[in-house]
Amino acid sequence: MSTPILQAEKITKRFGAVTALRDVTFDLRAGEIHALCGENGAGKSTLIKTLSGIHPAGSYDGRLLMEGKPVAFKSTKDAEAHGLAVIYQELAMVPEMSVAENIFLGQEPMKRGLVDWLTVVERAKQLLQRFKLDIDPEARVGELGVGQQQLVEIVKALSKRSRLLILDEPTAALSDTEVGILLDILRGLRADGVTCVYISHRLEEVLAISDRVTVLRDGQTIETLETAGLTQADIIRRMVGREITELFPRRATAPGEPMLTVKGLAVRRPGDGKQVLHDVTFDVRSGEVLGIGGLMGAGRTELLMHLFGAFGKRTAGSVTLRGTPLADPPHRAIERGLVLVSEDRKRYGLILDRDIGFNMSLSSLRAVVGPAGLIREDAEVKRNQAMFKSLRVKAPDLDTVVGGLSGGNQQKVVLGKALLTQPKVIFLDEPTRGIDVGAKVEVYELVNQLTAAGQAVVLVSSELPELMGMSDRIAMLHEGTVGGIFTRAEATAEKLMAAALGHTSDERVA
Amino acid sequence: MTKVETTAATAKGAGTVNEPVTPGRAPVEPGPRRVARVAWRDFSMLIALVAIFVFFSIASPTFVSARNLSNLAVELSITAVLALGMLMIIVTSQMDLSVGSGVGLFGGLAAVLTFEQQWPAPAAMALSLVVAIGVWTMMGAIIVKQRVPAFIITLAGLLVFKGLHWLVIHNETIPIAVPGQENAYSLLTTYFVPKLAGYVLAGVVVGSVAWMRIAARRERLALGLDVEPAADTYARVFLVGQLVFLFVILCNQYRGVPLPAVILGVTAFVVWVVTQHTRFGRYLYAIGGNEEAARISGIAVDRVVIGAFAAMGGIVALTGFMQTAYSGASTTTVGSLMELDAIAACVIGGTSLRGGRGTVTGVLFGALIMASLLNGMTLMAVSPEIKLIARGLVLAVAVWMDVRLARS
Repeated sequence: MSTPILQAEKITKRFGAVTALRDVTFDLRAGEIHALCGENGAGKSTLIKTLSGIHPAGSYDGRLLMEGKPVAFKSTKDAEAHGLAVIYQELAMVPEMSVAENIFLGQEPMKRGLVDWLTVVERAKQLLQRFKLDIDPEARVGELGVGQQQLVEIVKALSKRSRLLILDEPTAALSDTEVGILLDILRGLRADGVTCVYISHRLEEVLAISDRVTVLRDGQTIETLETAGLTQADIIRRMVGREITELFPRRATAPGEPMLTVKGLAVRRPGDGKQVLHDVTFDVRSGEVLGIGGLMGAGRTELLMHLFGAFGKRTAGSVTLRGTPLADPPHRAIERGLVLVSEDRKRYGLILDRDIGFNMSLSSLRAVVGPAGLIREDAEVKRNQAMFKSLRVKAPDLDTVVGGLSGGNQQKVVLGKALLTQPKVIFLDEPTRGIDVGAKVEVYELVNQLTAAGQAVVLVSSELPELMGMSDRIAMLHEGTVGGIFTRAEATAEKLMAAALGHTSDERVA
Repeated sequence: MTKVETTAATAKGAGTVNEPVTPGRAPVEPGPRRVARVAWRDFSMLIALVAIFVFFSIASPTFVSARNLSNLAVELSITAVLALGMLMIIVTSQMDLSVGSGVGLFGGLAAVLTFEQQWPAPAAMALSLVVAIGVWTMMGAIIVKQRVPAFIITLAGLLVFKGLHWLVIHNETIPIAVPGQENAYSLLTTYFVPKLAGYVLAGVVVGSVAWMRIAARRERLALGLDVEPAADTYARVFLVGQLVFLFVILCNQYRGVPLPAVILGVTAFVVWVVTQHTRFGRYLYAIGGNEEAARISGIAVDRVVIGAFAAMGGIVALTGFMQTAYSGASTTTVGSLMELDAIAACVIGGTSLRGGRGTVTGVLFGALIMASLLNGMTLMAVSPEIKLIARGLVLAVAVWMDVRLARS
């Protein structure tokens, strides 16, 4: 066998106390299509960033070899110079510029000190034809569909004569036809000797296109397999395979009457009008934890934000809170007993340059306002102090600015703010993201207390163990709709993953 | 005289340096380095103020005369009241460029109603005030509901209100009262609190401040919170007391405490209570600090921002009456460029243009710098060209410092 075009040897990448990659080792053969599979958070993105120089050499342990020779990319430019290009999930194009201009952005051919626009268009046209794309090189990128934009992005990467192409979820936004075109392009590239790393949650594509598959789990390479003869189940088992430990102290309470009932909900995103949710039906009862899982982009956050009145336009279906219709903006939703703890606490959760007391009080000031409309500081501070103590926030006092707290303590402040509203239904969106294990367990204990007090909890998580460990029932979303609802007893990682991937199996319980 | 005034300025500035210790909970800066930076910033402003006073008292001896200081108090009051309204706008990270034109328009409207239509002055001012609040509420609604940037809407307002002002006064000079007579409108800037009443007022103010400080301190102690050393509290109260009495003594050497100073005192107290002790005030800071988080936290962001603009409308009218009364008549130039003085006063006083930060004390301090600068230049008969350039440079430097502080 010839020398691999790229080898990763024992790559370990840490972010502070968190180890994102641990001894990752794999190799790419020249001219193969190599798929990377793993759950959300398994380390795929970190690995790509390490390979492409976003995490520069020196910020990780282990080494990279290209064609047998060690390389140390200091930047993405450096990696590009070695013929390595990455196409990210998020498009990096200027919508106001033409297709041709975008393709040659930053590497425009020059003639006598001026950009040679004729050549730009001419060469763009050739590239597009070579990949059999019916796209006008002079069209504005903003006028193209997302799928076509993605294809242009790929052409752009190829215009740099890359030998090694990394595609991160390239088909997430593509229609079936466009996926077909993309896979054909990739096969063409393989014939030309270009190596591709292909990352996708769509396992059927992985099986259809790849030569080999490497599975990542918890930042480690689990196994590299020849694709021939593999089934989706083989891959899913390796993606999930782990025990659910005592990390999850769920104490189930007997569920009471339905609190929140969602029937046939469909939601459009404002702006581009994309249908992000459709036919979503589920209910949550008091004292119950309903877990919501799904892959990235399945619509989990959108669902919570919509129910809370902060996102999207409802085009169909109904939502009721204890029998009464619910379609309120956040300030009313809170008055009605809903509260949301966002996945992005810096953006949606906290006023970072304010202190803990200010933040904790923000959603529930109404309760501490005196007759003259003035805030009763004594009542406010007493209440905040009690919450501060019961959540065991690690900070000197309430006057500490939240921006300087650790992730776990910031999350506790957000939770404290939510709890002070005395909610009936609490939406937790990735409540343990980026916080340490100790704080995680405290969050889980809090969930237990809430349900024991008869409150309903909706828990969105991209970690299967957390979902399975803490939920009484689990609804898996798949491309904006419910792919299956499982009771705690029914749920297995394989079933959940299959539902998230849109495979309706016989065991599915609707 | 010079020496006394300089001391007063120093004392005033010292109060600003220690500002974070307001009763109740005040924002605490993260880490000593930041505190040092803020202190440095406030300190440099204090030096600027002292330099301004020293320079003008040497360049123009009448600067520190009782008569001029009384005038300065009126000018300060007018600038500061407008800046206090601007504070509530900027704290939410909005902007209002139309207030100067609004000052002209609503002062002019009240003047026309009083002088030409022979309305009683209070009725004329009341109507003008109501209309101003309505117009600003509308501007606020357009900004938040239609999502047009405040910068553009209020820039349009600047032109529209100026045009309306000129229309209302048909490009003439409209006196606020029949010459030689007085009415409630003209008294706004010609009434002086009787000397004895001035002292009583000062006593009441100082007594209230002392009582509030001590009560707040007791409350914090009862809750087991950190408090500043008792000596600091007493020193602070003593200092405020000295300043207030010094101000009254100076004013009484001329004709007594001018009414606008009392209006400023009341406005400052109301704005302080609103921003520090009401839900609305908390929400202003929260929206400026992180609008998306504020929304998710259950704040009706649109309503609060519209409320801030409505309050601005009321303050614009109030400033309009004082400024027009101070000029004696509504002319086409009344209110011109006052929005820039108000913005400069806010920024000099530590209000962040990115929102979420700013205090009443800071704004008063910033307004004092702007008013002293303008008053001093007028006394020295500086040409209008140079005055414009100086105002512009002060604004630019203040904003530059604000940006630098944010970057570091």
